[in-house]
Amino acid sequence: MATVLIENLTKVYPPTSNNPTQVQALGGVNMSVTGNVFVAIVGPSGSGKTTLLNIVAGVERPTSGAARALQEGVPAQIGYVFQEPRLLPWRTVVDNMLYVQDRKSDRSRREAEFYLQMVGLSEVADLYPAQLSAGMQQRVGIARAFLVNPDVLLLDEPFSHLDALTGRSLRDYLQRIWLQTRKTALFVTHDVTEAVELADRIVMLRPGGVAYDDMPVDLPRPRRPGDPAVREMQDEVLRRFDAMGAAVRFGAAEAAR
Amino acid sequence: MSDIRAYEGLAGLRTDEARPAAARAAGAAAGPLTLRGLLRRAWFIRLLAVGLLVFIWQWVTWTNTRVPGIDEIVRFMITEMTGGSHGGQLTGEFWEPLSLSLQRYGIGLAIGVPVGAVVGLIMGASRWARGLFNDTVLVLLALPAVVWAFLAALWFGLSAWGPILAVVLTAVPFMAINLSAGVRDIDQGLVQMSRSFGVPLGRRLYHLLLGGTLPSGFTGLRLAFMTGWNSLLIVEWFGATSGVGWRARFWYDALRYPGFVAWIFLFVLLITVVDRVLLNPLERRAFEWNQRPTLTFEEEL
Amino acid sequence: MTSAPTLTPQSVSELSVRELRRGLWRRWGLRLSVLVGWAVVIAVWYVLARFVFTTQQLPQPHIVATEAWDVLSQRNFASNLQASILRVAAGFLLALALSIGLGLVIAYSQWWRRLLNSVLLFIVSVPTVSFAILSLIVLGISPLGPVLNAMIVATPYITMNLARGLTGVDRRLIVMSEAFGRTRAQIIRGILLPSSLLSILGGARLAFAVAWRMELLTEVFASADGIGFQIRRSFESYDIRGMLAWAVLFVAIMLIVENLFFRQIERRFSRWRSPSMGDAP
Repeated sequence: MATVLIENLTKVYPPTSNNPTQVQALGGVNMSVTGNVFVAIVGPSGSGKTTLLNIVAGVERPTSGAARALQEGVPAQIGYVFQEPRLLPWRTVVDNMLYVQDRKSDRSRREAEFYLQMVGLSEVADLYPAQLSAGMQQRVGIARAFLVNPDVLLLDEPFSHLDALTGRSLRDYLQRIWLQTRKTALFVTHDVTEAVELADRIVMLRPGGVAYDDMPVDLPRPRRPGDPAVREMQDEVLRRFDAMGAAVRFGAAEAAR
Repeated sequence: MSDIRAYEGLAGLRTDEARPAAARAAGAAAGPLTLRGLLRRAWFIRLLAVGLLVFIWQWVTWTNTRVPGIDEIVRFMITEMTGGSHGGQLTGEFWEPLSLSLQRYGIGLAIGVPVGAVVGLIMGASRWARGLFNDTVLVLLALPAVVWAFLAALWFGLSAWGPILAVVLTAVPFMAINLSAGVRDIDQGLVQMSRSFGVPLGRRLYHLLLGGTLPSGFTGLRLAFMTGWNSLLIVEWFGATSGVGWRARFWYDALRYPGFVAWIFLFVLLITVVDRVLLNPLERRAFEWNQRPTLTFEEEL
Repeated sequence: MTSAPTLTPQSVSELSVRELRRGLWRRWGLRLSVLVGWAVVIAVWYVLARFVFTTQQLPQPHIVATEAWDVLSQRNFASNLQASILRVAAGFLLALALSIGLGLVIAYSQWWRRLLNSVLLFIVSVPTVSFAILSLIVLGISPLGPVLNAMIVATPYITMNLARGLTGVDRRLIVMSEAFGRTRAQIIRGILLPSSLLSILGGARLAFAVAWRMELLTEVFASADGIGFQIRRSFESYDIRGMLAWAVLFVAIMLIVENLFFRQIERRFSRWRSPSMGDAP
C-alpha cells in the first residue's frame, strides 16, 4: 500500500535578480495520504501547490521538513501529469511513452498502446507531439503517467491549460482509468468543481500552509459535474473558502495590499 | 558573465533552407507553367539569384581588366583538371592539392568537432565549467584565423600540422559555444519530468540531451565546417607548399589571374557541396519531427 | 489531520540566511572559476613558450604584454588603429544603409525574400579569404578593399535580423493599435521599432564581429596600413612578439566593443523582457 507523508514541509525561494524579496511557497505543511484514495489539493494561486507536488516527486528540495512517497517502505514509483504535456517534441507519441518505461520489449509497446487506447488515442502512436492538438497531447501525458504502473500518481492542474469542454472530457478519461487502476493520487487544482468530481478527500491550502483537511467527499462514482450531490458539495467547499477571510485566503501581505 | 550565444544568429539565416516543409510549400504554390507561375517557382527564383551573381561578376569584369571573365575561368579549370599545360607555362595540377587539403580538413574536423562538443556539453552542464572556459572560448572566437595561420607556419614550418591545427582551433570554439547554449536551452520542464519518472541516465542522455541539443549542434557544426575551411585556406596560402590554398597562391604569384580566381571559385564550390551533400541531408533527417504537418482531422471527443 | 502552523518571522530569516550563503558561494565560486580559467590559459602559454617552443616561435606571455604596451604607446599604433576603425566603421555604416532597404523588402515581400535569401546565404558561405584575395586583384592595394569587404560580409547579418525582427512583430498588437485609432507613425514608434530593435541590435553586434575580422583579413592581403597590415609585416620580418602584440590588441578592441558597447545598448533596450526570455545569469 502506498503512503505519502508530508511533515512540516517548508519551501522558501531565495531572492533572485528579478524578484528581490524571498518567496515563501510552503510554510509548515503537514498531511498524510494512505491507500488507494484520490486526494484533491485545492488552493488559490501562490499557495505552493505545484511546489508541493514537485517535492513529493523529488524534483525539488524542501527548505526544511520532508515529503516522502513510499510503497511498502521503499520509495514509490511516481507517475506525474504536468500542467503542460511535457512531451519530447522530437520523439513520436509511442516513443515518448516508452521513454519513461523501464522494460523495453514488445510487451511494453503493447502496454503503451493499451494506455493510449484508454485515452482514445490508438491512432496517433507514431505521430509527433506537434501534430496533435493540446488536448490530445495532454491525454498522452495522462497515458504516460499510468504506463509506469505508478504507486503514487501526481496530477498538477492537468486541465487548466485546456478549454472547458476539452477539460471536461479529459476528466472523464481520467476518472475512467482511475476507477480501473485505483492508484493513490494527489491532484492539485484551483477548480473546486474538478476537485469534487474526482476526489475522495479535499485538502484546502492557503499561502503558507494547510487551511483545512477535514473534508471527505463521499459520493458514488462515476460522478458527473451536473449531479445535484456534486453541486451541493461544491457549494460547501466554496462556502468554507469564503468563510476563511481574506487574510487567510491570500496571505496577510497580499490582503493588506 | 557575458552571453555566449553571439554567433548563434546565423541559425536564423538558414530557416528557409533547412526546413524542406517551407520549400515544399513554396513549390506547391506554383500553378501551371505560365509566366506568372514560373516566376513563383522556387527553382526559378534560385536560378535568378545565381544569374544575379553571375551578372555582378561579369559587370566587374567589364569594368576591370584584371578580373577574368567566367569563360576564361572555366577554361582554365578544365585545363588544370585534365593536366594540360597553361600556355607552355606549367602543367596543370588539380587532384593532388585537392585531396591533400580535403585530408587535412577531414582530420582537423575529426579532432576539433568532438573536442569542441565535449567542452560545450561540459560548459552547458556546469556553471563552474562555463566560468572556466567561457573567456577562453570567446578569445578563440575573436582571434582572427590569419594569426593562427602565421603561428602555425612558425611552429610547424611547412608540414601538414599547421593547417590541421588551424582547422581544429577554429572548429572547437564554434562547437563549444553552440552546444553550451543548446544544453542550457533544454526545457527544464522535460528535465523535471524525466527525474520524476526516474528515467535512467543513459536514456536521458540519448533522448533528452541529444534531441535537445541537435539544433544548436547543427548550427555549431555548420559554422565549424565553414570557418574551418576558411582557416585551412589561409594557412595554406601563407605557410604550405601543397593544398588548394597553396595552389591559388601559386597562380597569384605567377600573375595568372584566371587560374587564381578559378581556385577561389573552387573553394566556394567545395564548401557549398559539403553543405548540400553532407550537412543538409543530415539536418533534414534530424529535424524530421519538426516538419510534419499538424493533424487536420477533428479531435474525436 | 488539521494543522496550520504559523511561521514566525524569525524562522523565515534563519532559512534565508542559509539560502543567502549558498547564493554567495555560488556567485564567488563563479568569479573564482573565471580567474582560474585565465590562470590556466596563461600557465599553458607559459609552459609552451618555455619548454616546447623557442622564443622565436612563441614568446612568453609577459614579453608579449610588454610588447603590447610598447605598441600602445607608439604613435604608429594610433594611426594604424584609426585607419582600421575608420574603415570598419565606414563598411558597417554602408552595410547598415543597404540592409535597411533590403531588410524592408525582405520583410514585406515573399518573392524578394526568396530571391535575396539565396544571395545572402551564398555570401555567408563564401570563405572570407576569397573576398580578401579578390579585393587584392580587383582593387589592388587600396583602402577601399577593407571597407567594401566589411560591408559585404556585414550586410547579410544585419538584413536578416532586421527582417526577422520586423516579421516577428506581434500582429495582434498592431490590430489593437488600429482598434484604438492610433496613427501609422504612432504604431511604428510604439510597436514596430521597440519590438524589432533587439533583433536588429543582435544582428548589428554579430555583423560588427564579422566585419571587424573581415577588415583585418583584407588588410593582411591588400593594404599598406592598419592592424592587419602590421600583423602581416611583423610575420614577414619574423617579429613574432610584435605580431602577437597586435593580435592581442585586436582581440581586446573587439571584445571591448562587443561587450561594453553593443551589450550595454542591448541591455538598455531589453529591460521590458522577462528574464525567462534569455537573461544572462
